[in-house]
Amino acid sequence: MEPIRTTENAVGPSADEIRRFAMQLRRDVLAMVHFAGDGHIGTSFSIGEVVAALYLKIMRIDPTRPRWEDRDRLVLSKGHSCPMVYAALARRGFFPVSELLRLRKIDSMLQGHPDTVKTPGIDSTAGPLGHGISIGSGMAIAARLTGRDYYVYVITGDGELEEGLIWEGMMTAVKYGLGRLIVYIDNNGLQSGGTIEQVSGLAPIYPKLQAFGWHCQEIDGHDVDAIIQATRYAEAVTNKPSCILMHTVKAGGVPFMAGDNSWHKRVPTRDEFERAVASLDEMDGRLEKLEEHLEGAEAKR
Amino acid sequence: MKAQVGDYASTRVAVTEALLELAAEDERVVLVCADSLGVMKGQPFRERFPERVIDVGIAEQNAVACASGLASAGLIPYVVTYGVFITMRACEQVRSFVGYPGLNVKLVGANGGMAAGEREGVTHQALEDVGITRMVPGMTVVVPADAGQVRQAVAAVAGVPGPSYIRIGSGRDPVVYPDGEPFTLGKVKVMRSSGDDVTIFGNGVVLPRILRAADILEGDGIGARVVEVHTVKPLDVDGVLGAMAGVNGAVTVEDHWINGGLGSAIAECLCEHGGAPMTRLGLKDKFPESGDPDPLLDKYGMSVSDIVNAAKRISAKGATIGRR
Repeated sequence: MEPIRTTENAVGPSADEIRRFAMQLRRDVLAMVHFAGDGHIGTSFSIGEVVAALYLKIMRIDPTRPRWEDRDRLVLSKGHSCPMVYAALARRGFFPVSELLRLRKIDSMLQGHPDTVKTPGIDSTAGPLGHGISIGSGMAIAARLTGRDYYVYVITGDGELEEGLIWEGMMTAVKYGLGRLIVYIDNNGLQSGGTIEQVSGLAPIYPKLQAFGWHCQEIDGHDVDAIIQATRYAEAVTNKPSCILMHTVKAGGVPFMAGDNSWHKRVPTRDEFERAVASLDEMDGRLEKLEEHLEGAEAKR
Repeated sequence: MKAQVGDYASTRVAVTEALLELAAEDERVVLVCADSLGVMKGQPFRERFPERVIDVGIAEQNAVACASGLASAGLIPYVVTYGVFITMRACEQVRSFVGYPGLNVKLVGANGGMAAGEREGVTHQALEDVGITRMVPGMTVVVPADAGQVRQAVAAVAGVPGPSYIRIGSGRDPVVYPDGEPFTLGKVKVMRSSGDDVTIFGNGVVLPRILRAADILEGDGIGARVVEVHTVKPLDVDGVLGAMAGVNGAVTVEDHWINGGLGSAIAECLCEHGGAPMTRLGLKDKFPESGDPDPLLDKYGMSVSDIVNAAKRISAKGATIGRR
């Protein structure tokens, strides 16, 4: 497959390397949440592959210039999944890896939800669900008005689609024909209170997206090749925004956690943490142990 | 012909005129609206800069969130629609996506207050817009006196990086100042001074009433200072304290709840600097109604005689409680 675009700063763009990167990010997230005593593992894990693909291959970024005007943007609309993005930013060099262990601590650059002022590489403050498509639309309209060619990527949840603002934003993106706006929907089927079906009348999702006039695709959200191919197709559509409905598994990637909604915002015990990282290590023994940075991180306080 | 003091002139037209000038000078300036371009008299802007109007339809949360995205990419969006919808329907967007990241989004809210509510009634009267925006860290909050001042305020906030809220009126707004009267963002203005008995602080549509009250007070032997506080945040603390020097107390008058807006701002300032007798005129914990502007202000506690009586009470009270 040809590269999607010229990603001068991308490293290790093979699918295997992206898969391994996603595993590394999951390992980081486990350590972050374990040591923070708080955070969302389940919803971070379900976007592991797309975050890995975006930061390793898809996005045009420069870790030394987090405010570079021509950079591609990511709006993490499901902001509670930020541990995964923080890990990707650190591993790509936006800030030291040891900072990850400062998640949710006082005086940390890593807030409980994304803060565009405090954290290098975070392109939009986020967290209150439903905002990403509207904000991303503003960024994409601005690209057109300022003659820049950056792409705006947005990651939303599926339960998040219950927020009315999502659909307001979808109408705006269609009205302005925002071909450089690409939205990934993390369809893990679960939200805080249960399954999507139990909690809301949202389903079916895909026909609603189509009815709003977007270019739509449906993929396995843990399949790196599918993510890259779908992104390539989406980028080829220039006259309307694109969405990629990704079927994912909440807390996916660690077998004993996968699909268990109790991991929405559960903190692993020491034993659970060790079992989880052991299962990731088993898949790839080369993962770096974030907790080895703990001493340095604590000393910095 | 220029509008004269005592005439009416549209604060909405003034916004558009100011934006036309700003946009001609600065290509970063864009106008965001929520199917509100017509009512905000923004058509000339669309004719001149069609690409720079972003109309998201009837969706104020979307408008403010979209403006957040525009500003994050370096543009200067002016979000122009009704004050109630900017500050309440889109309150979270204003607070968390404009205020929190400190983005350069300029909010302009029409139908500010009861009198400017176009007879639409409570749902369309922005009665808490100043209080809500004043609570957002880093937000500049301005209640200009009239159309001429609005023109200057719209330009002035462009020179201050970060978020701002400007309250404007119905489109039929009393002219308070002669044409060309200067506007200085962040500074109070002493409009009239006939002695040192009482200081009356006010802003917006009630200013002509305060001036009339001051005339009556002077006839009754009470010297009143009339001080316009168009910039409610950041408050000109030195200006407020200076206007209080030697007087017995303060009266505030505003077309807003007495909680949260100008009255609260002045009370906080005075309490933290030694205290002074004061009373606040404005809406008092009771929803108003539809109606013509002047009768509404009279009915809901902002009549000229209400102001005169409050000033007299404060003057007398000050004499017994002790002067500053």
